[in-house]
Amino acid sequence: MSYDIYLVGVGGQGILTLADLIVRAAVRKEHPVSFFPTKGMAQRGGFVKAELRLGQGGVGPHIRENGAHLVIAMERSEALKGVRYARPEGDFLLYGHVWEPTAVMLGEAAYPSLESVLETVRGSNARLVYLDSRELPKIDGVYVAANIFVLGAAFGNTTLGEVLDADKMTEVVQARWPRGAKRNVAAFDAGLRVRGTS
Amino acid sequence: MQVKVLSGNEALAYGALQAGVKVVTGYPGTPSTGALTSLLAMDLPGRYVEWSVNEKVAFEIAAGAAWAGQRALCTMKMSGLNVAYDSLISIAYSGCNGGLVIYVADDPGASAGMAEQDTRGFALMSDLPMLEPSSIRDTYRLTEVAFELSERVRTPVFVRLVASIANAKTALQIADPLPPADRTPILERNIAKYTKAGAAICITQHRDVIARLEKASEVIQEMELNSLQLAEKPGGLGIVAVGATVAYLGEAFDLAVEYGFDKTEVSILRTVTTTPFPAADVQRLFARCKSILALEELEPHLERGLHIEAHRFGFAGRIIGKLDDGPLSRVGEYDVDHVLQGLNMALGLRIPTDRFKGNRATETLAARRPITVCAGCPHRGTYMAINQAIQNLNLDKDEVMITGDIGCTILGMNPPFNTVWTEVSMGASVSLAQGYVHGGVETPVIATIGDSTFFHAGIPGLLNAIQHQTPLTLIIMDNGWTSMTGMQVNPGTDETFQRTGGCRIDLARVIPGLGIEQFFVTDPYDLKGTTSIIERCLTLPGVKVVLSRRECAIQVRRQGKRTGNVRLIPEKCVLCKRCVTATGCPALSIEAESITIDPALCNGCGLCAAVCPTGALKKEDGT
Repeated sequence: MSYDIYLVGVGGQGILTLADLIVRAAVRKEHPVSFFPTKGMAQRGGFVKAELRLGQGGVGPHIRENGAHLVIAMERSEALKGVRYARPEGDFLLYGHVWEPTAVMLGEAAYPSLESVLETVRGSNARLVYLDSRELPKIDGVYVAANIFVLGAAFGNTTLGEVLDADKMTEVVQARWPRGAKRNVAAFDAGLRVRGTS
Repeated sequence: MQVKVLSGNEALAYGALQAGVKVVTGYPGTPSTGALTSLLAMDLPGRYVEWSVNEKVAFEIAAGAAWAGQRALCTMKMSGLNVAYDSLISIAYSGCNGGLVIYVADDPGASAGMAEQDTRGFALMSDLPMLEPSSIRDTYRLTEVAFELSERVRTPVFVRLVASIANAKTALQIADPLPPADRTPILERNIAKYTKAGAAICITQHRDVIARLEKASEVIQEMELNSLQLAEKPGGLGIVAVGATVAYLGEAFDLAVEYGFDKTEVSILRTVTTTPFPAADVQRLFARCKSILALEELEPHLERGLHIEAHRFGFAGRIIGKLDDGPLSRVGEYDVDHVLQGLNMALGLRIPTDRFKGNRATETLAARRPITVCAGCPHRGTYMAINQAIQNLNLDKDEVMITGDIGCTILGMNPPFNTVWTEVSMGASVSLAQGYVHGGVETPVIATIGDSTFFHAGIPGLLNAIQHQTPLTLIIMDNGWTSMTGMQVNPGTDETFQRTGGCRIDLARVIPGLGIEQFFVTDPYDLKGTTSIIERCLTLPGVKVVLSRRECAIQVRRQGKRTGNVRLIPEKCVLCKRCVTATGCPALSIEAESITIDPALCNGCGLCAAVCPTGALKKEDGT
């Protein structure tokens, strides 16, 4: 088995935590794993990416272009940076959250439209799974962690669920935050149940 | 034995522990920081670990410990090696007693910013062996080997990683670390070894360092660190790979099969060093192969070595690499695609190059995200005050040179501040500014620097300005931490966080001690006060120093403290957006009716309130 996951998003969205959870699940299953997070210099609001390679020992940390079995994008504009890594016939999970840089907020810079991003992803010949960020559920009136929700959605909507076991993933989420387990498991389950559009 | 998910940096740390390292020093620098950080987080009786004031100091401490017979490790990024290099050459000439290992991390692709410096060039210049692990597992093994090599040859040894190994992670089986060796320190009086007193001594030492590198080459052969696979059939292609490129060979071979590639026809040398050059293995490759493909990131050091060896050996075949001016570039990181390109060049496989190239064109449509300082960052107040002071004096912002320095303070180069103009190296802001003054710039010249950078290499520049009474304003943004690299202590960090028995050095006492008359301490959250101090400095003659001091907001938050709150009165907001354009604070958003504050992000600095013209934003004291 070899399974490459390319993740993109914005600092502060928890994309590296999402990747770390997959690493933990893979290690439990004794899959060889390579995880290369890159966050540049930004704490929040900057471009963040991570490359996850499961099932192959001794490979280099970089996923080749057109090579990722799964791309997970947690921000609409940043999704464009994942497109070149998408493998034709692979999965591309786009959580359409919009995180506008200041210049965009001030009307001084452009931000890509949803339709243009979806078209670009479809053009890569990967299977698009689009999740509207308004699908993010609330528990007790507070939104759940988007990254855990997206992780659940990846299990429920892409081939990731064939590589790793959703039940085992739930255990990893529980073990990661014993105190917040209930909320996070609910977020994960909500993601599992949600159905993205293509 | 235990299995842990470790980064390359952590694997290096565990490798050093396994080797019984006793003294570890370093200065933070991405991508190398994680090695020493992981050691500081462990309880290590009988060992000494510190963040030193700069890399030169760190290296000298490690060298002293190694001269005293102990095993010592020194860690730094490539830029740090430039700082340590003066002492490094001297100590290379002298050799060492205990194992002395210098860990340096290069950054092909410059993901952390700075230079795509290939430090292998320094190994060549200093005649020191440099081990180049190709994976995290390799890093663990070769770090331990580096100490053994160092002691057997009595020479300092480099371990060089690149960012994609230093910061990547994998599950690794590691042994429980051994306690450090119990060695009685050596005090050896030997001026022929430890000084440079006279040409005879220096020339002898030069001969010694050359001989030690040759010895290192023999020991590496004897330890069988390189892997050489010769094809059964002669006359095929030979591949020589080093460092990160080694990890992509297998994957590339698999992909190339469908284009007629047969890996049984290829001979492969995976070398762990470029210096010393693996001459013996290369000669065996020459004897078997018709052509050679060199695979290495950044500069063609290995490839040049191959050309020289080919000439000496009488190898007349082709040597393919980046000197060919083809797709193998001196720029950027290498991945599987580069190996495929190399195979294409060497074997004419006709692998379609677009098959492994995705669509990049659409990336230009992505919104730009210039990085800025965090919500509540004290530096924000300093940049705003500098800009305001320039405006108050009716100066044109494009006519006031403001030199910048390394670390978080450089973020003042980005919007909305656009304050600082330059970024060179640790401490360079202070001296560059003097150059602009002597270059005839008549408007005020300002230098900006952070606390750790000032301690590291900014102090000599300030001494120089004072000695020569060069008129400038130096603004030290003191947030008490080495922040950009992930919060390390420096000499100015509060005593609570210093090592047991360590102490804090207060810049507010150091600087007046240099005899500066115009010295001001200000709180960057006080925009008005800081602006007026800077404004005054820009009109005064001589050397002026402003210490703009307030602890890093991230660290304040981690300590569970809060400096204040900002209250929004939405009815008063007229959406003039002044708060956003002046601060660029990530906690502020523009909504339909008014500005909004993300309470999870806001650290209550109140700088937005300080520029709000309608009183819609109000600063309240924290608890």
